[in-house]
Amino acid sequence: MTALEAVSVYMPPLRIPIESLAGPLGLTDTQVKLFRRFHGLREVSRDPEASLYDLLMKAAAGLDALRGQEHRVRYVLYARAMPVVAPYPVNPLHEVCHTLGLDHALAFTVTHQSCASGLLAIDIAGRLLAGDTAAADGPDDPGPGPDDPGPGPDDPGSGPLALVLSGEKAFTREAQMFTDTTVFGEGASACLVSAFGARDRLLAYASNVRGEFDSATGENDAQMQREYRPCLAEVMRQALDEAGLTFDDIRVVLPHNVNLVTWQRMCRLLEIPVDRVVLDNIPTSGHVFCADVFLNYQTARERGLLQPGDRYLAAAVGAGGGATFAAMVFEH
Amino acid sequence: MTAQEAGLDPEFRQRVVDTMTAVLARLLDRSEPVTEDMRLMEELDLSSTMGLELMLELEDQLEILVDVELMDPDQLKTVGDMATFVAGHSRPG
Repeated sequence: MTALEAVSVYMPPLRIPIESLAGPLGLTDTQVKLFRRFHGLREVSRDPEASLYDLLMKAAAGLDALRGQEHRVRYVLYARAMPVVAPYPVNPLHEVCHTLGLDHALAFTVTHQSCASGLLAIDIAGRLLAGDTAAADGPDDPGPGPDDPGPGPDDPGSGPLALVLSGEKAFTREAQMFTDTTVFGEGASACLVSAFGARDRLLAYASNVRGEFDSATGENDAQMQREYRPCLAEVMRQALDEAGLTFDDIRVVLPHNVNLVTWQRMCRLLEIPVDRVVLDNIPTSGHVFCADVFLNYQTARERGLLQPGDRYLAAAVGAGGGATFAAMVFEH
Repeated sequence: MTAQEAGLDPEFRQRVVDTMTAVLARLLDRSEPVTEDMRLMEELDLSSTMGLELMLELEDQLEILVDVELMDPDQLKTVGDMATFVAGHSRPG
């Protein structure tokens, strides 16, 4: 079963007040007020001195569990919202792999689901690793079943791993803001994934791609606004159903940091208390692209919200060239 | 439930209605007046973003703070429904 072996997050210390972005982004006073008053976005994280490579490396540097285990890493997945982040032939992902001693790993980018690509990357990483194990066991071996813990806690140090990176520079206007909805912050995450780990095991993943919600044409913006919360609620419930759980079984929800009011209204729709959702980072970091869930995971752990055996739900929406609604259920 | 049944100050609620209809007409760029019985989505095509902008204007003009986190937009069908919500879920700002 796919599991998160270790998670590291780098958030730059610098915070930029929303008001300071008004000029560069061409925001009206009303838009700034709306962000601050209702969306709860007070400031965003930025690291003007750091390149994308720097951001990813700073996240990976915090991944103590990677040290000495580089040979086990078969895949490096870079989940990101922006399809293009560096001019050819610059390749921050390959540079990070080289510095980390992971040149032997197959490295590729997961995108096209915008900010929901992080959850997709976790799912892909786990399935690739599980597929490799099944193949190595021979054609007659059906591979690991849903109840097969694999090497598990008795053999935590031998199985193959994948490194899932996320994080982006807010380098264009489009990468800095989603009009009247959110403001993006810079940061990065690094996550070691195994196929059969015992920690933070992935119990279910659900996603729904709605290609017609394409912000480039704007034709269905009104429909998307109407259906945004119901669609997200649907995949969250679907993931819970697949895990055989209900919201009563969920200790915390790790949201995407789109804004506060969306999650306050999501809570009313889902009939769960707002304090079950880790909203701490929205006012001070903004929407950190695909890294939100990992950032909020770290916060949940720092606050002592997750005890062994607790189940939690991660949720994300990727909007842009179409929209993807995604949710994952984990067991800590 | 009427405003009176909800225990609201009818005078304050009327101020909310008057301000809301004026702001909506301007936000939506309508030449015809907006009335209390108009349906927010079907008739006025009010988006959630514009709904928040409306709340912001109401807060400024009426010097109140609205408990937007308690608002369920799906339950507020008409201008009057929203005015009742604001009158019942706001405090001096």
